[in-house]
Amino acid sequence: MATQATTILIILSVIVIGLLVVRPSLMAVPGGKILAFIALFILPITALALGSVIHLEDAKSTDFCLSCHPMEAYGKSLRIDDPTYIPAIHFQNNRIPRTAACYTCHTNYTMFGGLKAKFGGLKHLYIYYFKTVPAKLALYEPYNNRECLHCHAGARSFEETSPHKEMKEQLSANEMSCLTCHTKIHDAQHVDQLKLWKGA
Amino acid sequence: MADNSPRLQRRLKIAAYLLIAGLVIEVVTLYWTSPISFIFFIGLSGTLVALGVIVYLIAIVAA
Repeated sequence: MATQATTILIILSVIVIGLLVVRPSLMAVPGGKILAFIALFILPITALALGSVIHLEDAKSTDFCLSCHPMEAYGKSLRIDDPTYIPAIHFQNNRIPRTAACYTCHTNYTMFGGLKAKFGGLKHLYIYYFKTVPAKLALYEPYNNRECLHCHAGARSFEETSPHKEMKEQLSANEMSCLTCHTKIHDAQHVDQLKLWKGA
Repeated sequence: MADNSPRLQRRLKIAAYLLIAGLVIEVVTLYWTSPISFIFFIGLSGTLVALGVIVYLIAIVAA
């Protein structure tokens, strides 16, 4: 919806700007200067701002992340037919939005992360197009429990079950990683050997 | 301000062409979901639109 609205705005801008190019005498009439100001200043800046918002929203999408070839195995891992795999069980049971699956769990790893993450993303693009992508990919920092707890914290099934309730403080303080017990994550290197769910 | 001075008209035309190019590239990038699309949006479209706006402002200030 936002993309279509911005497209219409851009088309209108281009038409008005084109009109001013073809009929520059329009600027001499009363109101012509205001029209020129709107067409050559207000509308382009507005279109650029809206486009930025749309691009930043698109950067959250699963398709965006998986559009790069090195991410193919990670995308496949969302369909591993084994409930012990954390990303797979979340994705297949709609516990995370499928259209923003990667971003939901990797919120510090996208254009929404800090400046460091943003520049990291540019570095990845540079490596992808001009260098060699490493065979094994890894996070720059250990996975933070915050990414799990922003959904699981406060949930009865998490707070009142063992062993979570016994180690609640350690998990909240990130002293003990959730991945200590939940060890099956993407397993990108073996995903081709695993059975995949053929669902939606 | 000399509304019809050739210099002003030329600058306004340059601004218009830069803006049109930037906006057309922006529309293309909006329908292309990819990290490289964002680079084209910011690097190419953003630069062209910014230049177009700057040229327009210079044109009206200098006129």
